[in-house]
Amino acid sequence: MQSGKSAAQTVATVKPLQIRGRTFTAIALHLSGRPDRAFFEALEARLNQTPLFFDNAPLVIDLEQAQGLDGPQDLVHLAAELRRRKLSVFGIQSGTPTQARAAAEAGLISLPGGRDAALERVSRQGSRPEPAPAAAAKEPANRMVTQPVRSGQTVFADRGDLVVVGSVSSGAEVIAAGNIHIYGRLRGRALAGVNGDASARIFCHALDAELLAIAGLYRTSENLGPDTPRHHVQVYLEGEVLRIEALA
Amino acid sequence: MSKVIVVTSGKGGVGKTTSSAAIGAGLAMRGHKTVVIDFDVGLRNLDMIMGCERRVVFDFINVIQGDAKLKQALIKDRRLENLYVLPTSQTRDKDALTKEGVKAVLDELRQEFDYIVCDSPAGIERGAHLAMYYADEAVVVTNPEVSSVRDSDRVLGLLNSKSALAEKGDGSAVKAQLLLTRFDQNRSASGDMMSVEDVLEILAIPLLGIIPESTSVLKASNEGTPVSLDEKSPAGKAYMDAVGRLVGEQIEMRATPGEQRRGFFQRLLGRTA
Repeated sequence: MQSGKSAAQTVATVKPLQIRGRTFTAIALHLSGRPDRAFFEALEARLNQTPLFFDNAPLVIDLEQAQGLDGPQDLVHLAAELRRRKLSVFGIQSGTPTQARAAAEAGLISLPGGRDAALERVSRQGSRPEPAPAAAAKEPANRMVTQPVRSGQTVFADRGDLVVVGSVSSGAEVIAAGNIHIYGRLRGRALAGVNGDASARIFCHALDAELLAIAGLYRTSENLGPDTPRHHVQVYLEGEVLRIEALA
Repeated sequence: MSKVIVVTSGKGGVGKTTSSAAIGAGLAMRGHKTVVIDFDVGLRNLDMIMGCERRVVFDFINVIQGDAKLKQALIKDRRLENLYVLPTSQTRDKDALTKEGVKAVLDELRQEFDYIVCDSPAGIERGAHLAMYYADEAVVVTNPEVSSVRDSDRVLGLLNSKSALAEKGDGSAVKAQLLLTRFDQNRSASGDMMSVEDVLEILAIPLLGIIPESTSVLKASNEGTPVSLDEKSPAGKAYMDAVGRLVGEQIEMRATPGEQRRGFFQRLLGRTA
């Protein structure tokens, strides 16, 4: 029994550790001016509308409209007040350099510009000294897959382009730091430029994707729209917009 | 050289056990010494489908745990000279299966049998994983229906990555073939059901056979007779054709087995026929 289990584990464990890009969802709180009594009352009212919905929700404070709020004490106070209301505040965004320093002193990370959706997403893990320098120093390594990528499989090209000669099934995931080329039908999820490369593109013979993402900006099959080209397409970022275009 | 063939699907209720029994019986009828193993520990069904449930004394789990010899657990079929069944336990669960135990039993069976058919449980957990782990070939049973196709696709991914052959890492792979069951040509033509082309396009593996939806399948199951023994049934004939292809014969794919109707399937499968 025991030996059987450990054997299965040995088989499943390929590397002692893995580092993967990951996208998280967080909520963004837009401040306009200093948080005063009226602000907290409005906040309480909002939280009371859906009592459990925001419990322990990861939260980012958006300071775009609150230029004046730049003292560490202000942010410490604000963070404490938010945490008291069961909001897990962990960072700020759209802050000035002064605000970023104040945030650091208050134990909050400063995030590079996320984008508002219905909920705010955070595509990168802040400015922590992650293994990025080591990875950047290495040669890019492209990856080629010559079999269909089946439902439930994930293929990850962590340092370069990914080429799939075959189809990507519904429920499968192909992820690359660089471009993704699929010589077949894309039915699953494709995430290109996961380390933040906004110039990465996705190419496929036939598009039937569940999700397309470049540098953290994504579209799902639901909001692709009926006029989206479906054959021989490329997907790329134009500013903040994910474009899908038929190849000429 | 003996072959281990796993009959698997991911999804439940698509006809794995029925197909295992029919394929096992078909191989035996063709003169190959065949054993069918039930890997669905805790939900023992194969013995009923094969009509030997009253003769089970020792089972697969007893053999794995060393409580019984393999010879004691093997049940010889009363109808077919070359057919044996290795039933599983109804009282234990899938944790009773171990990789080493399964390997030891399969190695011993390989000495004696031409074909070892492993009837996989549904799902992708321990039972299903061990049923496919030592397989040389796989018969992926799929209904022409989206959830069944997706689950089969998942199973094909596991066959390509989590089987003993795949883990050798020398490019060898489990040879997987598709058995499309419960197929209704009229409903497929009217668009209610997925077409054969649609399923093949998604799964991208060779087609072993198309088993038509047939009342004879349920009847045969309840009687404890593998459906391939029913010569009059279209499903039985389709299974015999599939068995022929499984052993490497070139057999034309027929919409209604036994009838020489030209059309859809000939066009579709003209290249293999």
